[in-house]
Amino acid sequence: MRLLLVEDDASIQQFLKRALSETGYQVDTASTANAGEALALEGIHDAFIVDLGLPDVDGLELIARCRAHGSSAPVLILSARRSVDERVKGLEQGGDDYLTKPFALAELLARLRNLLRRSAPAHHESVRLQAADLQLDLVRREARRGDQLLQLTPQEFSLLEYLCRNEGRVVTRTMILDHVWRMRIDPATNVVDVHIYRLRSKVDHDTSHPLIHTIRGVGYVLKNA
Amino acid sequence: MLRKITTTAAWRISLWTTLAFALGTAVAFLIVYFLVAQGIRERSDTWLTGETEVLAQVLADTPKDHLYQRMVREVAELATQEVPDERNARGERLNSVFFLATDSANNEPPLWVGPGTADAFISAIQTAKVTSGSPQSVRVEGVRQTFRVVVHEQNGKTVYLGLSDRGTSRLLHRFASRLAAVWCGMFLLGFVISYWSVRSNLRRVERITETVARIGAEDLEERLPEPANSDEISRLASTFNRMLDRIQSSVNQLRTVTGSVAHDLKSPVTSIRGTLESALCETGNENWRESVGEAIENLDRLLLQLNTTLDLAEAEAGALELDRTPVDLSVAVAQLVDLYQPAMSDREHKVTLDLEEHVFVEADAGLLNRVISNLLENELTHLPTGHLITIRLHSRSGSAELVVEDDGPGFPPEIVPRVFERFVKGKLSPGHGMGLAFVNAVVQTHGGTVSLCARPEGGAVITVSLPVSVLQTS
Repeated sequence: MRLLLVEDDASIQQFLKRALSETGYQVDTASTANAGEALALEGIHDAFIVDLGLPDVDGLELIARCRAHGSSAPVLILSARRSVDERVKGLEQGGDDYLTKPFALAELLARLRNLLRRSAPAHHESVRLQAADLQLDLVRREARRGDQLLQLTPQEFSLLEYLCRNEGRVVTRTMILDHVWRMRIDPATNVVDVHIYRLRSKVDHDTSHPLIHTIRGVGYVLKNA
Repeated sequence: MLRKITTTAAWRISLWTTLAFALGTAVAFLIVYFLVAQGIRERSDTWLTGETEVLAQVLADTPKDHLYQRMVREVAELATQEVPDERNARGERLNSVFFLATDSANNEPPLWVGPGTADAFISAIQTAKVTSGSPQSVRVEGVRQTFRVVVHEQNGKTVYLGLSDRGTSRLLHRFASRLAAVWCGMFLLGFVISYWSVRSNLRRVERITETVARIGAEDLEERLPEPANSDEISRLASTFNRMLDRIQSSVNQLRTVTGSVAHDLKSPVTSIRGTLESALCETGNENWRESVGEAIENLDRLLLQLNTTLDLAEAEAGALELDRTPVDLSVAVAQLVDLYQPAMSDREHKVTLDLEEHVFVEADAGLLNRVISNLLENELTHLPTGHLITIRLHSRSGSAELVVEDDGPGFPPEIVPRVFERFVKGKLSPGHGMGLAFVNAVVQTHGGTVSLCARPEGGAVITVSLPVSVLQTS
């Protein structure tokens, strides 16, 4: 997978490039829209990450130009502008997803994965998820740890399902709120953590191999460690 | 309809101006009437005095045996000349004139030409004390007319000549009734004209009011039309436009400032956060990871506060951009309560719900979620453990009412009047004092209200009212 990152802020560009490379993507970078356009026209990228506040040409304009040249690669917009209007405009002009600065790296990676999956040919949705000895039946909405059936509320099941789908990848509280509760709120209290603690007390109860781990400052990850 | 008109300012103003106008013209007309009446009276008196002198001369010159006939002729001539309708429709004489001559020196019987006998007239004249040179009106018993009587004394003979007032008073009466008719016409016309002109001017004011109300509620781009002439109302419109210019530029400025502050702060924070986060992914010593994690968490808290401050500033300036859709408030509340339930029970709070279903409001779903979540966070952070929280939702008379109530210690009384202001919080409150300010600002932007009261049995009640979506009623 080869990505094009157009971002004028050198330090953001740097850490994004490093993080993306570590995740396994090949990354080309550009600091201006014109340089970005030149790279984009090569047509070798699977996805673009474009900052809106570029020094020469507005990021939206760059996206419009790429689209005009027939590029169909998905675009993830980065922006420090907060307004709903900007978001809508960005998505209308050919952006596929929108991330407001500052963002959690984990969220950027998740969104990027999502975009790449969306643009790839559809694969059939599985009805079962498995992580280590944890099994989820998505049709009957049942979860088992080993051979023991877990007594989960529908909400806890959804939360576990989300963690399971992102097995081995860190998910942030914002991502959890967005995907499990479909809400974009910023609680100042530990509402999400309480849900995780409860889920953990059921999933990782009397086992020596906990699956749900807290990554301080970032979020949670479900992995067999 | 009529009642609606009578309550308008146009009606009141035109009524008062017309009344003032009517009063003024009435006084003017009365003065004219009295001047005219006096003039007519003087003219007729002068003429009557002249006639009396003539008749006195005739009396002195005419031999006695012809006297009566002569007088009758003279008087009849006088009557037909001077009183226009001396004869009525049947041709009868109405006896508008009388003539009386007495001779006190020779003790002769009085010479009388006139209606009926002289006695009634003599006694009436004596009662009225008519003196020479000043004509007077005399009412005679048994005769329906008032007579204007003039006295002339010559050589011991006294001559009385009386002329019926009928002609004069009829003339004056006609004059008065015409004046009254003209006055009524002027009154009505004046009212119609002033009502029409006042109303057409006030209509312009009303249009300005409507437009300004719409501009205030919707977008700040629109302006009032400014007519070319510069009367008071046009100046009002242009003043409003200048004011709107200023408001719009402040709002724009605020948007720019918040935008640039956000941008300026966010880029460095993003890069710090990203660097920390990617550092965290690398393996390393556990203590070190802990510190990095803590740094990220603190950074997130800073960002949360920054975002809330910016949102609040925008919301309070009415610069929030709303993406309104019909939102089922009962569903939104239930979802958020679901989310907060475990955290609530962790603090041993019991939450009871009383939600009316399908209460739709036209609102920005994201902001509405934040409003509800702020209310719940407020309970979570401020309530000591182990309390009862009641959340009720009802729609009544066009507004959706969301009540969040607890049986805790309530708000400190000193902050109650200012609890929706920024940075106002209880001394022991761990928050930043922005949660409720944000709730208030957002709800107001949606055209609703937030109120706070204390329960008599202790505890706080926060009530959020939002206008119910029109779609729901249809």
